[in-house]
Amino acid sequence: MSNSRKEIMKLLGDFSTIGLTLAASVFVGVGIGYLLDHKVFKGKTAPWLTLIFLGFGIAAGFKNLYMLAKRKDL
Amino acid sequence: MEHPILFISVILQTIGLPVPHGPVGDTLLAKIVSPHLTYTWLVMAFLIIVPKLTLGKLEMIPGKGQNFWELIIDGLEGFMAENMGEEGARLMFPMLATFAFYILTSNLIGLMPGFMSPTSNINITLGCTLIVFTTTHILGIKFHGVKYIKHFMGPIPWLIPLMFPIEVISHLARILSLSIRLFGNIMAKETLLGILFLLAGAFFAPLPILFLGVFVSLVQALVFVLLSILYFSGAMEHAH
Repeated sequence: MSNSRKEIMKLLGDFSTIGLTLAASVFVGVGIGYLLDHKVFKGKTAPWLTLIFLGFGIAAGFKNLYMLAKRKDL
Repeated sequence: MEHPILFISVILQTIGLPVPHGPVGDTLLAKIVSPHLTYTWLVMAFLIIVPKLTLGKLEMIPGKGQNFWELIIDGLEGFMAENMGEEGARLMFPMLATFAFYILTSNLIGLMPGFMSPTSNINITLGCTLIVFTTTHILGIKFHGVKYIKHFMGPIPWLIPLMFPIEVISHLARILSLSIRLFGNIMAKETLLGILFLLAGAFFAPLPILFLGVFVSLVQALVFVLLSILYFSGAMEHAH
């Protein structure tokens, strides 16, 4: 395999992760918030920690996107 | 949907073992003889026996079998060395090469009738992913000690309360995305093949999907190894 083609395969593998990572970050954020709300604090803080960690999850997803977008080696 | 015929399960059933019909059995014995585990053992036996048979004795001037394996191992090591450096490649080569061979073989084995891909069960891919995740952080602690926590802090001190949960969540999201990518692709391939065999197997309807299945198996094994390499090298390099 030539060098440029290998490079393209590597970049394809790398950038095909964008969508799934964005979705997974949101789900992990909501999951942590829900667990904190309902298992740790027994529903006293009911919707708030879920919402806060949803925000963290979305921020994590977009941070990943941003880090991939501003890579220097392209 | 008709249950596909898996020959190991059929053999075990005639012996009298309680092979589960659903994805997971009830008792411990039923869990042990469930199809994804028996086919994992088949893949492991294949990967141990076939290189032993083809490799023979190691010689200075390689024969056919040794040439083939040397080509694969050399290519894999070169691929790892250019992504994570010579030192990291030498350290992590055994584990990542095992993942590459195991995932590639178990993806491809599902293309044959009577066999099943172990990676089409989420327990297998989740196990692989948890190994990669744990090793990432062990490597980080080994290379940086306590300062490894700087990887989670971000560049600006007063943003730490914001950046720490974000980094932790993005590390945990890797488990989800890595395991579900492999599992989803392979399970989609298996299910599609099964349905097409049932609907129009006599008219060679699964043939294009078999061709695509080879491509998907190769690409997913490559992507799993490539992402593990990226995570490992991310843990080994200095914090930004």
